[in-house]
Amino acid sequence: MGVPRVLATRSWRQSLTPVILIVPMLASLLAVSLYPVLRTIWLGFRNTSLAIQGDKFTGLANARRLTHDAIFWKAWRQTIEFTAISTLVETLLGLLIALALYKKFRGRGLVRAAVLVPWAIPTVVTSRMFGWLFDQGGVVNYLLVTLHIVRLPVNFLGSTTLALPTLMLADIWKTTPFMALLLLAGLQTIQPSLAEAARIDGASTWRYFSRVRLPLLMPTLLIAALLRALDAFRVFDLPYVVTGGGPASSTETMSTYAYKTLFSGLQLGYGSTMATAMFVTEALIAGAFGLFIVRRMRQEG
Amino acid sequence: MPVSHKHSGSPMSRRSFVKGAGAVLAAGAAAPVLAACGAGSASGTTSGGKTTITFASAQFFAKSTIGQMVNEYNNSQKLVHVQFQELPTPSQSTEVHQQLVQSLSRRDGSLDVFTGDIIWISEFAAAGWSAVLDGYFPASTRAQYFPGVIDACTYQGHLHSLPWYLDAGMLYYRKDLLGAAGIGAPASWAELVTAAQKLTNSGKVSDGFNWQAKQAEVLVCDLVEFIGSNGGSILAADGKTVTIAEPKAVEAVQFMADTFGKDKITPKAVLSWDEEPSRMPFTGGQAAFLRNWSYVWSDAQDTSTSKVAGKVGVTKLPVFPGGTSTACLGGYQFGMNAASTKKSASIDFLTWMSSPATQLKWATQLGLAPSRPAVYDQPALAKSNPFMVSLRNIFTGGTPRPKTPKYSQISLAIQAGVSTALATGNVQSNLTSTKTQVEQIIG
Repeated sequence: MGVPRVLATRSWRQSLTPVILIVPMLASLLAVSLYPVLRTIWLGFRNTSLAIQGDKFTGLANARRLTHDAIFWKAWRQTIEFTAISTLVETLLGLLIALALYKKFRGRGLVRAAVLVPWAIPTVVTSRMFGWLFDQGGVVNYLLVTLHIVRLPVNFLGSTTLALPTLMLADIWKTTPFMALLLLAGLQTIQPSLAEAARIDGASTWRYFSRVRLPLLMPTLLIAALLRALDAFRVFDLPYVVTGGGPASSTETMSTYAYKTLFSGLQLGYGSTMATAMFVTEALIAGAFGLFIVRRMRQEG
Repeated sequence: MPVSHKHSGSPMSRRSFVKGAGAVLAAGAAAPVLAACGAGSASGTTSGGKTTITFASAQFFAKSTIGQMVNEYNNSQKLVHVQFQELPTPSQSTEVHQQLVQSLSRRDGSLDVFTGDIIWISEFAAAGWSAVLDGYFPASTRAQYFPGVIDACTYQGHLHSLPWYLDAGMLYYRKDLLGAAGIGAPASWAELVTAAQKLTNSGKVSDGFNWQAKQAEVLVCDLVEFIGSNGGSILAADGKTVTIAEPKAVEAVQFMADTFGKDKITPKAVLSWDEEPSRMPFTGGQAAFLRNWSYVWSDAQDTSTSKVAGKVGVTKLPVFPGGTSTACLGGYQFGMNAASTKKSASIDFLTWMSSPATQLKWATQLGLAPSRPAVYDQPALAKSNPFMVSLRNIFTGGTPRPKTPKYSQISLAIQAGVSTALATGNVQSNLTSTKTQVEQIIG
């Protein structure tokens, strides 16, 4: 059926108003977020450095230097490892905690509040704490030695194999509450009537979980995991404060290496190339996750 | 029904109240602007006719502060007025560095005098940000300071910085334990290893020798000391030849790795330690020897936190056969902006800040060790801080870190390379690759 001309014109004008209202917000957002990204990419093609006062266009020289930079690729691998493992563990642990907090029990309100404390502590403070906890003379070694689990204190932070896992542990302690709360919110959107229906149909708890709750929780879970993965990829405070990137660059992440190059080494050009590489990798991670989520949602209907 | 008439008696209506408040606020905002115009600060002189210069310095806190010292100078003469800009504390040296670089790279003379870490001097000199001070401080004046610090303040033969205060690495030891075992303070690294092994084997301490090997700037400081005590170096005096893979340097780094390897006098945790984690076992009574900066002395004598008060001795760091004791120099030094338009006023201020009388005040009131040997002879210093007097011996062997404009970059490369050498035990191959990296950076 055709729409009367008069009405069509009015609705066109009506749909213009929201666009006009959004444009200022969009413009300022682009200025604040798009401009710095473009400028960083542009700086990556120059050899700008505050120390040597250079500022020439050097094309792909920085990119070529990056491909030969062994420490950069070590940092890249370590960052991916850190992101993958900590996101996975945080999601699983967060899910378990969310399921536990879902049921009513005495003191649940208090537990829910207490669970958030690690998340509320500033990351720098957490980093310092874990640095002291896992030091040779720290509480963890004290307990291990006193309980005769080991004979001599374990070298956590000075070991090229144990330092990164220790940092992952610190991150998991800090961020699991955040995941747990996001997933708890997701669980609470599932109608309780479904639990009734499942019980009437004779489904076990596990089947109810795996066939009903988990699929309904999937969108929330994937989005929470995506946010967490993007955040974990940018990890800076933990490695910078606790180990400084060492020993032997085994806890160097892309953020710490880029920071050292940009702000300690004052190489704005080369550091911008690194920042661009980080941006590209994160965009790929977000894109992969996004595709997965979209396909999942299409499956749901 | 009675109605409240509280507001009906008010003489002021809402509109006139808002007008009045707005006028007061506007006047309040305009007042500072008017006052500044009146003070003539735009022209660089105060209303009293004094030349105003800007001085930016990292903050220090003790019995007095930098601001109080600046006020003392301002009140002591009638020609120069110093405006003090506070920068973060030296523990946040990256931030101090950034702020200085941002200020100086503008080359607009907005900053006249500044203080900077001893390792930034070559960088600022090569960039043309720090003024050459040769003409203002002739050789006779320069001879009044420790030679090591003047060396650190000189770039390509010209003086670019005026010494302020010093710090250096030194060896702390448990004189009670060594005395009981009948050993004297070690003069060579071999003696230190023997003494440390004896004390750990007898169960008196759990750590023999603590130092710092965290992948951070402090590793380069420790490295300078070990390599220097073997007669080697990281960078040759010409600032271009990299000598970190030469036999003497390799020997020294091998010794560093052996302390927690075959000699077993150092815990492997040293690879994650900077100053504080290495200091705590020592003041907790669990270590026999400690390499650290001068601040540990007052921590060790503090009975509320230290278990070794009165049991600690300090001496120069040991040597390898044929080498001389090397202490890595630290501390902030003065610089003058090359673009400053008030150079003579700035030099007057600098001369006062670096004078013997003022250096004595820095020492007694802020705990900053003087860079002039003569000040150590003053009785006032011996009365207030006898420990500081003993530092004179250590500062005489003071050596700067490699002097090159790209120090910040090569420091990162050295930290990564040497940390890998120590953690994996492959000393020669990692030092050779570090040499290649540093050569690429220097160009």
